[in-house]
Amino acid sequence: MRFFRQDLHTLTGAYALDALDSASEITKFNRHLSRCQSCASEVRGFREVATAMAFAATTEPPAEMRDQVLAAVARTRQLPPEIRTHARPRRTRSAAPRIPWLSGAIATAGIVVAVVFGFAQAHTQDELNQARSHNQALAAAQVRVEAELSQAREHDQALAQILGAPHVTLLSHSTTAGGVAVVVLDAATRKLVVATSGLPALPAGKVYQLWLIGPVKIVSAGLLPSAQAGVTTPVVATGIVTGDKLGLTVEPAPGSKQPTTTPILALPLPV
Amino acid sequence: MNPNDSDASRFRPATTDRRGEQDLDVLLVHVARGDQEAFETLYDRMVGPVYGVIRKVLRDPSQSEEVAQEVLLEVWRTAGRFDPAMGGAATWVTTIAHRRAIDRIRSTTAATDREHRTADVSPPHDEVAEAVEASLDRERVRRCLDSLTEIQRESITLAYYGGHSYRQVAELLNVTLGAIKTRIRDGLIRMRDCLGVS
Repeated sequence: MRFFRQDLHTLTGAYALDALDSASEITKFNRHLSRCQSCASEVRGFREVATAMAFAATTEPPAEMRDQVLAAVARTRQLPPEIRTHARPRRTRSAAPRIPWLSGAIATAGIVVAVVFGFAQAHTQDELNQARSHNQALAAAQVRVEAELSQAREHDQALAQILGAPHVTLLSHSTTAGGVAVVVLDAATRKLVVATSGLPALPAGKVYQLWLIGPVKIVSAGLLPSAQAGVTTPVVATGIVTGDKLGLTVEPAPGSKQPTTTPILALPLPV
Repeated sequence: MNPNDSDASRFRPATTDRRGEQDLDVLLVHVARGDQEAFETLYDRMVGPVYGVIRKVLRDPSQSEEVAQEVLLEVWRTAGRFDPAMGGAATWVTTIAHRRAIDRIRSTTAATDREHRTADVSPPHDEVAEAVEASLDRERVRRCLDSLTEIQRESITLAYYGGHSYRQVAELLNVTLGAIKTRIRDGLIRMRDCLGVS
């Protein structure tokens, strides 16, 4: 689809309400915004309207949330201010594309990825249990996202490519057996990284196996490594086709050719 | 549109102190320096809108709580990157909240569940234990929403509270894409004038 200037300009409203529906559209609009002063100021005004709508939706949260957030804050390191350089518009940080909506997704991805990657080292078993009983997300932010991401990058090149890809999608879903699977999907290269946290421990002779469950066939995507402190190290899966879901089943070791039990996770993959 | 003057000065949940409270922008500067007490104050001021807007979009209370916690922690972590030139602190925080809620529905199977629910196009209705301030905002927003044409109002509420993309809104309302973009923009212009946003 082609975007003409006129079209782009009328998108200020949808943009301010986070209602553009593709990353490429957002990228185009951001590019336009950087050149169109009047659009930028219109977006600012519209965002204030959105703010008023958020205030109008004010809802009392669960009371225990306050203590949980404040406790997490007390053990969460803050990011340093961004140094803005105007001299060179060239991108310097390859892993964090400057697309507001997307960088949001990536920040969230960063947090969850950080949990998944950084947890084992960062916490004692006690802290882990405590944190998990509170909230996965809370525990997540304890870890320094950027440091962890770069650590992960060194760890594994394939992993790094996906995490550093310009248009990743973060998916996270709890399994029916408990625990949560976190997926960073790079639709462009049809690859994903998956890690899990808090899955129940399996008896000897059983393994967790990943599947790409397509409309036509089911393909094994490998076994989950055994968990350390409840967290499995990331696994890369490739060759995702449109309509695939990421499945997870419990299988007899050393894995099966086709799933033999009901999936505890069947996560649609938007590619 | 004739923005009412008293409205213009009253509407500012964002940045001005209506009752001698500390300015949110200033609070955020303190938060950026690691001041946890400032964060507590900011939390108390912002948690209602943050949780409220996320609830509007996601509906599910436990998912909303999870996302709200992530958002508030993100506010703490990234306070140093707040850029006042881009808008007030309240706008910064609620924008993060709304985006995270949208990220969540566009990236999890929650999206599939939502398809089956009827879109909530009604103006926000009262919840438990709201602050007086919130009900003022609520009333003002409701009145301004009421001043829009039906299709403008529906487009804006479906997009913002319903978390739908403008393409989905066009489909839901059976209107062309071009028309929906214009309706959203025109509606927001009217809202902006009605609310007295500068």
